[in-house]
Amino acid sequence: MRLKLLFAFLFLSQLVLAQNDTINLNEVIVSDVQLRDNNVSQTVLKLNDSIIQQNQPALTSLLNYNSVIYFKENGYGMVSSASFRGTTAQQTAVLWNGININSQLLGQTDFNTVTTRDFNSISVKSGGGSVVYGSGAIGGTVHLNTDFRFREAFQNELYLGYGSFNTINTQYRLNAGTKKWNTQISFSRNSSDNDYPFVGSDEKNTNGEYYNATVNANIGYKINDKNILKLYSQFYEDERHFSITSENAIRTKYRNANSRNLLVWTNMAGQFTSNVKAAFLKERYQYYDNIESDAFSFGEVQTFIAKYDVVYAITENIKLNAIIDYTINDGEGEGIGEAKRKIGSGVLLFKHKVSDAFTYEVSGRKEITDAYQSPFLFSAGATYAVTNWYKVKLNGSHNFRIPTFNDLYWKPGGNLNLRPESAYQADFGQEFTFGGLQLTATAYYMKIKDMLRWLPTSEGYWAPVNTDRVQSYGAEVLLDYTHKFGAHELGLKGTYAYTVSEDENTNKQLIYVPYHKLTGAVSYTFKNFGAYYQALYNGEVFTLSDNDPKYMVKDYLVSNFGIDYRIGKKNTYRLGAQVRNLTNEKYESVASRLMPGRNYNVTLTLIF
Amino acid sequence: MKINKLLGLALMTAVFFSSCTDEEIVYKEAPAAVSKGAYEKGVLVVNEGNFGSPNAEISYISSEFPTLFQNSIFNTVNPTKVLGNTAQSIGFNGDLAYIVLNGSNKIEVVNRYTFESVATIQTGLQNPRYIAFANGKGYVTNWGDAGVATDDYVAILNLTTNQITGNIAVVEGPEQIVAYNNSLYVAHKGGYSFNDKISLINSSDVVQTTITVGDVPSVIEINNNELYVLCSGKPAWSGTETSAKLVTVNLATNALAQSLTFAAGEHPALMDIEAGSIYFMKGKGVYKKDLGAAALPTTPVFTATATTVYGFAAQNSKFYVGDAIDYVANGKVTVYDAAGTLQRTYTVGVMPNGFYFNN
Repeated sequence: MRLKLLFAFLFLSQLVLAQNDTINLNEVIVSDVQLRDNNVSQTVLKLNDSIIQQNQPALTSLLNYNSVIYFKENGYGMVSSASFRGTTAQQTAVLWNGININSQLLGQTDFNTVTTRDFNSISVKSGGGSVVYGSGAIGGTVHLNTDFRFREAFQNELYLGYGSFNTINTQYRLNAGTKKWNTQISFSRNSSDNDYPFVGSDEKNTNGEYYNATVNANIGYKINDKNILKLYSQFYEDERHFSITSENAIRTKYRNANSRNLLVWTNMAGQFTSNVKAAFLKERYQYYDNIESDAFSFGEVQTFIAKYDVVYAITENIKLNAIIDYTINDGEGEGIGEAKRKIGSGVLLFKHKVSDAFTYEVSGRKEITDAYQSPFLFSAGATYAVTNWYKVKLNGSHNFRIPTFNDLYWKPGGNLNLRPESAYQADFGQEFTFGGLQLTATAYYMKIKDMLRWLPTSEGYWAPVNTDRVQSYGAEVLLDYTHKFGAHELGLKGTYAYTVSEDENTNKQLIYVPYHKLTGAVSYTFKNFGAYYQALYNGEVFTLSDNDPKYMVKDYLVSNFGIDYRIGKKNTYRLGAQVRNLTNEKYESVASRLMPGRNYNVTLTLIF
Repeated sequence: MKINKLLGLALMTAVFFSSCTDEEIVYKEAPAAVSKGAYEKGVLVVNEGNFGSPNAEISYISSEFPTLFQNSIFNTVNPTKVLGNTAQSIGFNGDLAYIVLNGSNKIEVVNRYTFESVATIQTGLQNPRYIAFANGKGYVTNWGDAGVATDDYVAILNLTTNQITGNIAVVEGPEQIVAYNNSLYVAHKGGYSFNDKISLINSSDVVQTTITVGDVPSVIEINNNELYVLCSGKPAWSGTETSAKLVTVNLATNALAQSLTFAAGEHPALMDIEAGSIYFMKGKGVYKKDLGAAALPTTPVFTATATTVYGFAAQNSKFYVGDAIDYVANGKVTVYDAAGTLQRTYTVGVMPNGFYFNN
């Protein structure tokens, strides 16, 4: 049914295209207005298309090499969880066109289940954002967006990649547009035998094969100058075998099927811009604890969201934004039985641009739900341009992470008496711009209380309790430099994160939080030729909560090198080749989960 | 070579420990002369490790020199080997120790005194739990596929070839296994589910009978022709909570001789019989019951200093308690004297679940 609708839209957009409008509108219609308009006091790192191309296919590798977010990956392609500013995997929110897609069951996003090529804009925002983005936006947020352009376009793109360990990455993408329509369709599929040999050993990664497939359909329709309709649709499916750590361990596998649909109607009337949004999300997992058997356990949650978002421009420089939101989560599965959760929320955002140099913003959010006790959340910040090359930003916020379905409803243990994890944080950022050089340095301090942890009870089962208190502080540095001379272009990018995240009872660093993470990339293009080198350094991490130095995951430095060459002007062919883990470093990101040594990848992109 | 290092350490410790006494020379010479290995005369602590991670290991605490203590002895002695994932238990047979690794589906066979690797048994095991020895053979309890109730078995191990030679099908969730004459008693705790049976396997490797005891038989031990069974009862979250029981089976008749019921809501899971008394743990309390006593004790001998009690043993007028703490830190072992006074605390490996005495 959905497929039919999709093709109908596609067909329709072609017809409109045939009318051949002559007016060229370059306006970008963003899917996440708050990300653009309401974060002047925080640091947002935008990853452009060429960066996205360099780290294929999953979000883990893109962000690992280009942002301050630390990842732990249970072996290449396996479950991957993020830690942002020393927080847990549930304290980083992933937003799909402004909608929070962290799992309702687990509270986190697995960053190896997102194919980056399916989005035309990916951004990373440091720091709290629960007022706008809800649960989990504590350490920071990752934004996956599809932006529309209403202009003449008809472009097909076919991407083919083949690499070591029989890794095949493919995508077909269509972007068709007129001044009224923009249709973006893509199909992608990634698979790998993933049986990489371990560096310096006769053994290899066993039972690590995976595939995933995504269909995306995004359609924007400009009804008239005052009204725009946008439909975003994504279907994702995968199957991963979980690699084993000892030869005879029982082999397991995991399957995900997620669908995401969002319809937005934007209306602009005088000083008011309103967005009416309806979203339907579905997540489902199936876990096979023995691949020899067909038996599996599963969990499934359907989420309905209705949202009304109105911006009132009191003057050109003073804007008030009100959002009301109603969410229903309807879940069932092993352990949780059947459970339903309803959350209503109200958000107010106020932004005042006092002068060209000074802007401040304040916002607050309150939820009403019977599933947990919900606190009042706020955010306040300001930015001031001291000179035309130096800007300061200050932000303070109260954010939260709500209990997951498992925390609330798992039998036994789950209960409705839990409080959300609550975090107060302040950050101070400085931005320097000199010609092609941009340097951002941010220091932050954060206190998290009521951390949810499952502990054994006196009755012999485990139950979640609001227990730990954590304090995190550190600094983030982002560097971006571009220099053009004639047909040459040189780019330099770097990020550095220093993170201290301590359990307040024990004063020990949290496990799997490195003190240091560093990334760096150099790129060079000359006419049709491009080359890049990127490196990632992750400091050592503790794996035991008593910080026993004997059980640390060692630090590692891994680097990649790639080249590409374009042929043709209109119909372009782009040939690329990459060497990953250039130095054949033996490393692991999670204890006993070795990552691949040096491996190769070739790509061909046809644009027609 | 490692052994020499350790012996050196033992000697140094001995020197240090006795340097203010006249017995220095005696200590210096004696252990080396008669020693069967560095890990003789002490307790082996099984650190289970985290399920799915190969971080199981064995710690050693000397019973002669309390300061002589070493972690990760398997890997220290056998540096090219990794013990594996989820060490469930150890069984002794002669000079050999059989370390059963549940997650790795293997058994590491080592010399119990030197810890030098002898063999690795990798075939024929699926979710192995415990091992016992009788009739010149080894018997290993296996859950099979933990999600399947009907494929559980006791594997028969040829102790010469270290090959599994056959399986004896049993009811769900075989856990602890003990030998008695030429027979074996298997407690069916229930695996992922709950069970209430003891299987008797006779000398022909046939299940002769099953005895219904109480729900969830966690610990079994034979003493003086009687089998003592600590049944934990079904927990409240099962929806059909049952009381824990301490059951005695007469091994001549295989009939229940005594069954004492714990108060509702109590679910003890650790027990050890030592010097004519049964010791069990309820929460952090250690309780003592004389073998023949007609009622369960109500006051503890002492209360252990632990965050998360995970293992327990009583031996030679001492008590050993394993503390898993938060399950992601190195665990602790606390040792108490007969009166329950804390004598020593050792930081061991992750999740210390059991104690095996090398005397």
